[in-house]
Amino acid sequence: MRARVEAAPKFLNLLQIRFPIGAIASIGHRISGVLLVLSLPLLALALDRSLHSEAEFAVLRDLVSAPWRAVLLALLVWAATHHLLAGIRHLLMDVGIGSGLSQARTSAWAAIVAAAIVALIAAARWLA
Amino acid sequence: MRLSIYRFNPETDLKPRMQDYELAPEAGDKKLLDALMRLKTIDDSLSFRRSCREGVCGSDAMNINGRNGLACLTPLVGLKEPVVLRPLPGFPVIRDLIVDMTQFFAHYHSIKPYLINDTVPPERERLQSPAEREKLNGLYECILCACCSSFCPSFWWNPDKFIGPAGLLQAYRFISDSRDTATAERLAYLDDVYRLFRCRTIMNCTEVCPKGLSPSHAIERIRQALVRESS
Ligand code: SF4
Ligand code: SF4
Ligand code: FES
Repeated sequence: MRARVEAAPKFLNLLQIRFPIGAIASIGHRISGVLLVLSLPLLALALDRSLHSEAEFAVLRDLVSAPWRAVLLALLVWAATHHLLAGIRHLLMDVGIGSGLSQARTSAWAAIVAAAIVALIAAARWLA
Repeated sequence: MRLSIYRFNPETDLKPRMQDYELAPEAGDKKLLDALMRLKTIDDSLSFRRSCREGVCGSDAMNINGRNGLACLTPLVGLKEPVVLRPLPGFPVIRDLIVDMTQFFAHYHSIKPYLINDTVPPERERLQSPAEREKLNGLYECILCACCSSFCPSFWWNPDKFIGPAGLLQAYRFISDSRDTATAERLAYLDDVYRLFRCRTIMNCTEVCPKGLSPSHAIERIRQALVRESS
């Protein structure tokens, strides 16, 4: 019996589970947080370089104007915006503001949509 | 109707598999549980729990098209086909849709789900005012089906340490009870990074509770009570 229980399978395939919108906002908060932590050293380095001289600033500017890099930057803008908005949402809910189910659903949608829009605008500006 | 059901027999299978079924529901078949019972007359090896067939016993919780719910409260009308049925996520599978709830109930017992009051009982009963009784609404109705805990990401990652939404809702049910005198001890037990504070307010629990309860709200109230306690 014991051996069998230890070998018991578990169903936990996240791709086969339908997540409510709040969970999606929350997963996005995690992912964006990781992205921000990973990108911070690079961004700091870029800032440091760009302040060095006009020539280095120009090099960096050309670097980020390539289309695929604009997409990358838009991703970071998304990460920053989503992390901020979802973070504020979590903080408010922690003190009991908007923690009812329907309000929480609305604010989750709002954070997701707003961050996506900001990222799209950023991408459009860089590509233009 | 078409169904796709998770099958696992520990005696013959090394791995779970999905099995497809075709079924013609009959006139009286209104809920998913009715369809499952009919299926059982065709394939009696299919295993699932059920008893009350009306949302009271909490035994037929399962993952229905990706969301946890009770088969007996899920109308057949409006279900997307094939209806995909899997056991509750994150729980060890005993067979087919039957999961091992040992740990779930261990968490439930850990919060001492009974009235604690060492004062001498009155002649007849411990009375409550209507307002005090009102506080138990939305808490006492829990049927311990585990839909919530098994849909909680925090519970998936720490099933042994996090009490989970169902246990915490019950903990709050006794914290709110005016007749219970162990509030301080109950709160002290919960004041722990894992037991209570693994909850990240994702609210999956409240999304799926078939009784319309809100474990996330109970958890919020416990946190508030802890803050009050310490200030
Ligand atoms: S709170 Fe709701 S979902 Fe959770 S065990 Fe109780 S009845 Fe089931
Ligand atoms: S609100 Fe807390 S208990 Fe409910 S699903 Fe989320 S993490 Fe789990
Ligand atoms: S059979 Fe009792 S809750 Fe569904």
